[in-house]
Formats: sequence, structure tokens, C-alpha cells
Amino acid sequence: MSPVLAGIVGIAVMILMFMTQMPVAFVMALVGFLGFSIMTSPDAGLVLLSRNIYETFASYDLTTIPLFILMGQLGFNSGISKRLYSAGYTFLGSVRGGLAMATVTACTAFGAVCGSSPATAATMATVGLPEMKRFNYDDALATGSVASGGGIGMIMPPSVVLIIYGILTEQSIGQLFVAGIFPALLVTMLFISAVFITCLIDENAGPAGETFSWAARFKALLGLSETLMIFALVVGGIFYGLFTPTEAASVGAFGVLLIAVIKRQLTWKGFVKSLMETLTTSCMVLMLIAGAVIFGKFLAVTRIPFEIASWVSGLNMAPALVIAVIIFIYFMGGCFMDALAFVTLTVPIFFPVVMELGYDPIWFGIIIVMVTEMGVITPPVGINVYVVYGVAKNVLSHNVALEKIFKGITPFLIALIIGVIILIAFPAIILFLPHLMYA
Amino acid sequence: MKLLDRFLNLVSDLLKSAGALALTLMMLITVVDVAGRFFKHPIFGSVEIVGFLAVAVTAAALPHTYKVGGHVGVEIITRFLPRRMRLLMDLFTRTLTLILFSVVAWQMFVYTKDMQQAGEVSMNLEFPLHYIVLFLAVSLTFFSGTILQQIVSTVNQLRKGTTR
Repeated sequence: MSPVLAGIVGIAVMILMFMTQMPVAFVMALVGFLGFSIMTSPDAGLVLLSRNIYETFASYDLTTIPLFILMGQLGFNSGISKRLYSAGYTFLGSVRGGLAMATVTACTAFGAVCGSSPATAATMATVGLPEMKRFNYDDALATGSVASGGGIGMIMPPSVVLIIYGILTEQSIGQLFVAGIFPALLVTMLFISAVFITCLIDENAGPAGETFSWAARFKALLGLSETLMIFALVVGGIFYGLFTPTEAASVGAFGVLLIAVIKRQLTWKGFVKSLMETLTTSCMVLMLIAGAVIFGKFLAVTRIPFEIASWVSGLNMAPALVIAVIIFIYFMGGCFMDALAFVTLTVPIFFPVVMELGYDPIWFGIIIVMVTEMGVITPPVGINVYVVYGVAKNVLSHNVALEKIFKGITPFLIALIIGVIILIAFPAIILFLPHLMYA
Repeated sequence: MKLLDRFLNLVSDLLKSAGALALTLMMLITVVDVAGRFFKHPIFGSVEIVGFLAVAVTAAALPHTYKVGGHVGVEIITRFLPRRMRLLMDLFTRTLTLILFSVVAWQMFVYTKDMQQAGEVSMNLEFPLHYIVLFLAVSLTFFSGTILQQIVSTVNQLRKGTTR
């Protein structure tokens, strides 16, 4: 069997095994190990398995992941999300659709301490949905804004997907982080516009809420101060080269813990819960990376990524068309598979192609995160939709049908598509800050 | 069997606590190191210690994460299957997972032995690395035990024909 054919068979077997609901990480490790053993020798396969799992778990660079997850968990359990929401609420609540706009803004702000999209969606759904219910918001707009807003957490630094992309492609995590700031703000603006237009079309979708005095608004704004401080410390520290990403994550997590303890906002139970949640999520993410690394080694011996890269460059197709096809694949993949899993699986295949075409690796990282962000809100696997569905069941007195949530995300999906087009047309929005970092 | 169950649950809980402690230490050591650097007194070998603790964090969380269904899978097809078929599919994937991680655990013990014989130590602290690999190997063994526990539970459900 030729190496390329072996690779194609391996990919086909892997896709088939995904359908059995076996964890993606384990399937990648199993197929990668078997494929590598067949292509080289069983002994080499066995060595690959143990060495790669140990090296992934012991990697200092990857310690960024549990530490940033811990920072988000501590932020959640100490009630930062509530204060962020009320800050947005006092400013935007009186406008039609203002509560949904406040939710989106709070999602972006919470994304600055939390690197996970479902976690951001779950947090904001808990805080935002009962308020929107109180002001008779349409269920579709309320749930749609929370599910979609949660996705901003994926681009806003610190972002777990960007860390993984950085490690798999050997790009600077610091540069990827700062590159994500403007796109995250752009998406926030587009989402706010989506809410505005939705309320223009349907006047009853988001009735206006309470109006607050300027004194109350400034008081609520103080609730943002600690998040801003932590964000400035973490991202600023990386930007100016004061900290490595791991150090920034530790300092950030410790900062959130310190503030919560001083302000007596975190109980011992909340602290332990944060640690336990972090352990489970980190284990899942690191196992995914270990699986992807093993599968990547198999792919490398089949030479598939390089063959695809040279095949595509020999096609004489316009690079923009190739990028469009890749983006379409990411969009479709994101619809069927967990965003993180899909990125870890496909980056080793597509990255060489994109580099061959001469695109900027940082730009590509942000673009694929943007596209997979669409995946987290589109059927059938839109994880954020299921998260919000679950939270809505608990915090509202009635069930919101899944179809209704999917309907609610439509304006936000259109906004995201526009966002991706803008970022493709104006790459400087992404690359401006990372270039400044080099300068 | 019940005794084994209780033992595995106890180990899983102990490992979870060890992981939580390792995570807290990881954060604290790095913060102290950063602060110390500003006063020209960083912690010697902090990067190595954090790397060791990272192994502890992930390895210790393996049994618990599997037990609570923390790993992501693709549910598109299975959610439409009848319950019995779904349980049979579960049995199949869990058995494959058990085989995979038994091999990984075995290989990790082999790796431990290789490292011990080669006398490999960390660069700064000169800590024998085989202890770290051994911890991972032991955690993987308990992880395999947890997978077996889940297989038995699936078989019992299939026998009884009860809903999950």
C-alpha cells in the first residue's frame, strides 16, 4: 500500500469511528498508533504512543491551558459575570433590544478572563436569560444572543483554541492573543447591530427595559474595573514581553483569586469547584492534543499534508479560492464536530497548504477560529445551543425549543459571515497589533 | 466486584484531590517565580517543577474525566439509535478504549524502566524523570480500571435492559 493510500484509509477509518461516539481524542490516538505501526513497525508505534502522551502532558507550553481555564472558572465562581452583565445592563438596558446588546458586550468582557466558548455561553445564559424573560424578550432573540455571544470567548484572548493552534503550528501564542482583540471587538459590534436590526424588524422581539441614572451607570462601571485590570495585566504582560503565556495565565488566575478573596466573593466550595471543573476540562483538552499529535505523526509518514500542499499549489487556482474552500470545510466540520477537536484534527493538514500559498499564519489562525465559532452555534452539533438549551431549562419556567434557539442565532450567524468577509478583505484588522508587538 | 468498585472510586477521588493540589501549586510556584524575578530571586528550576506538576494535573484527572463523560465525541448518529443499540455501541467503544489505554499504561511502565536504566534526570534540578513517568503509568493503570468499571456497568445495563 502506498503511503498516501494508507493515509486516506486511515482518515476514512477515523471518520467511521467518530460515528460510534468514541471520544475524538481516543479515536485519533488509536488510528494514529495503528497507522504509524503499519507504516513503520509495531515497536515504533508503541514507542510513539508512550513518548507522545508523556511529552504532551509534561509540556511547559501547554500548562497555559489549565491555568487559563482556572482563571475563567475562578471568575465564574466569584460572580464576575454578574457584575459585567449589570454594567452593560445599566448602559444599554433602556434601548430596544438593549438587554441582548448588554449580554453580547458582557460575553466579550467575560471572554477576556475565560478562554472557552461554552463556558462563556453557560455563564451569560445563567445571568442574562432571567433578565430578558423579565422584560418579555422573545425567546429566540434571548437565547440566540447568549449562544452566539458565548462564541466571542473563543477569539477574545485568552483563547484555548488559539493556544492549541499556536502550539500545533509553532506560532507565538502572544501574537495570536493580541491578534484576536480587534476581531473580537468587531464581532461584538456586528452582534450589537444584529440585535438592533432584529428589533427594527420585530418591535416585540426586545422591548426596552429600565433607564438608570448616570450615577448608577458609573457605579456599575466600577464592576468592570477588576476584569479590565486582570486583562491589562495578562495581555499587556504578554504584549510587552514581561511574561510568557504560562506566567501570564498563572498571574491572571492568581489575580482573580486574590480579588475574589479580598472582596469575599469566593467561598471555599466555589474554589474547590473551580479546581475540579478545571481538571476535567484540561484533561479533555490535553488528551485531544495528545491524540492529534499521535495522529499528526501518522499523517506525516503518509506525507498527505505535503502532497495536498504541493497538489494545491500545482493547481494554479487563485489562492483566495483555496482559502474559500478551506473556510467552507472548517464551517461544515464545525457543524458536525466540536470546534476544538476539529481544529486539532485539521490544522496539521491545512496549515502547510496555507503556508504554501503565502498567507500569514497568525491571520489564518484567527480566521479559522472565527469560522469554527460559527460551528458552535449551527446545527446539528452547535455546542453553545445545547448549553443554552440546558441552562434555559433550569433558569426559565418553561422549555425553549431547540429549533427556536437555532432560529434565534440566524442574525448572529449572518453577522459572523460578514465579520469573516471583512477580516479577509482587511487583514490589517488582525495583523495590526501583532506587527506592533514586533516593532 | 463491589469491593473493587469502591477501591477504584476511592483511588479516583484521591487522584482528583492530588490533581487539584498540583494545579494550585502550579499557579503559586509560577506567581512566586515571576515576583521573585523582579527582585532578582526567581525559583531555581521552576519551569521543570511546573512541567512535573502538569503531568500530575492531567494524569490524575484521567479516571474522573472519563467517568463523568468529559471527553468530546460525535453524537450525530448514536442519538438516533435505539437504546439497546446505543449500549452495544458503548460496549464496543469502551472495549477499544480499554485495549488502547492498557497498551499505553504497559508502554509507560516500559518507558519508566528505560528512563531509570538510562539514568535520565531533569536539566536543572537533576530530578530522576522516571518517577514522573511512573506516576503517569500508575494513573493510566487506574484509568484502565475505571474503563473496565464502565464496561461492567454497560454490560449490567444490557442484561437488565434498563434505561440509562
